[in-house]
Amino acid sequence: MSLTVRDFYEAGRESLSLELIRGEKQLDRIIPEAALNRPGLALAGFLQYVANKRVQVLGLAELTYLKSLKAAERRERLTGFFEKHIPALVVTRNRLVPKELLLISEAFHVPVLRTPMITMDFVNRGTLLLEDLTSPRMMAQGTTVDVMGIGVMLEGEPGIGKSETAMALVRRGHSLVADDTTVLQRDSTGDIVASAVDVTQFHMEIRGLGIIHVPSLFGVASMRLRMKLDMVVCLHHQRSMEDVDRTGLAPQSRDILGVSVPVLNLPVGPGRDISLIIEVAAMNQKLKFLGHDAAKELDERLIKTLLRKATR
Amino acid sequence: MTRGNPTETGATAASRTFTVTNKYGIHARPAALFVKTCSQFQSEILVEKDGAVVSGKSIMGLLTLEGHHGAQLRISANGPDAAEAMEALGTIFENKFYED
Repeated sequence: MSLTVRDFYEAGRESLSLELIRGEKQLDRIIPEAALNRPGLALAGFLQYVANKRVQVLGLAELTYLKSLKAAERRERLTGFFEKHIPALVVTRNRLVPKELLLISEAFHVPVLRTPMITMDFVNRGTLLLEDLTSPRMMAQGTTVDVMGIGVMLEGEPGIGKSETAMALVRRGHSLVADDTTVLQRDSTGDIVASAVDVTQFHMEIRGLGIIHVPSLFGVASMRLRMKLDMVVCLHHQRSMEDVDRTGLAPQSRDILGVSVPVLNLPVGPGRDISLIIEVAAMNQKLKFLGHDAAKELDERLIKTLLRKATR
Repeated sequence: MTRGNPTETGATAASRTFTVTNKYGIHARPAALFVKTCSQFQSEILVEKDGAVVSGKSIMGLLTLEGHHGAQLRISANGPDAAEAMEALGTIFENKFYED
């Protein structure tokens, strides 16, 4: 899916205070490269290389420079720049947009946007927004909970008790990220970030109870908007789990949006407090991230003992 | 406990002594394989070494036995599928727990 100027404008209307100055009909122009560019060199007449696939940002420096040029030269430079097929242009600091620029942008069908932000802030936050808009994402059938700083997504067939387990975790003081459907997104650092779908955020469906509003019942601390995904816990019926890893020595993982995420297969059955087991699993995963693998360490110690006894 | 007629339920008892022949002995992975094999059967399975007896369906129990290379384990099974269980365990011992 390609990013259009409209996507950028709509997402940045609030967060970047973007306003549309010209080119409402051109908002479907595609932004081929999700990045920003300050076209100082291009405006100075160097057109051999222009980062023309990016959204162009005109700050105080560029505008002051344009102002210093004679009218004819200004027109010529701007025309040369616009001939490079730029997707959109943003003027920062709420500066008045020069008339020639408006005319030329209309002629080239390039939308012009404006923001009150200073250029540096706009470039920083605008870059993050563009990254967010274009980062790979997917919807996953799973309930996500922040368990003591470890992001856990619960999976399993319908009716196995994902939401009930999540509710028990919330009751124990952990925070719900998303119930039933989780949006997963890979950020620029290579982390998978989980969040809820807007319309159902903060809500949960519990069989027999219906839909509940989690923060009203458990307080605002019971919700978390975004959480890094650290592990997937897959709930299975005990009888279908002959093959479960009993030692924890064969850790499993799954590729999610190109990132390998640890997966724990958990049998659900009578006498097993799943929320408690998940709490411990999250802590154990944390311990592994810190470099301690209890199962591996015990096994290594055991093998040492066994070898000593064997050679005696 | 009363058992049904052996010919009806097929309840039997079997026991055999095995020698651990893989290099590393019964560490976590072989113990897991042992437990997984035992868990496929209904029979109660006990493992004895130097007087200590543990359940064949318990990983932590098996690990405490310290079944090193060359150790002798006496295994007894009691239940309707005791013979089959013993046969399956025999196979994993013969194959050195698929290690080495």
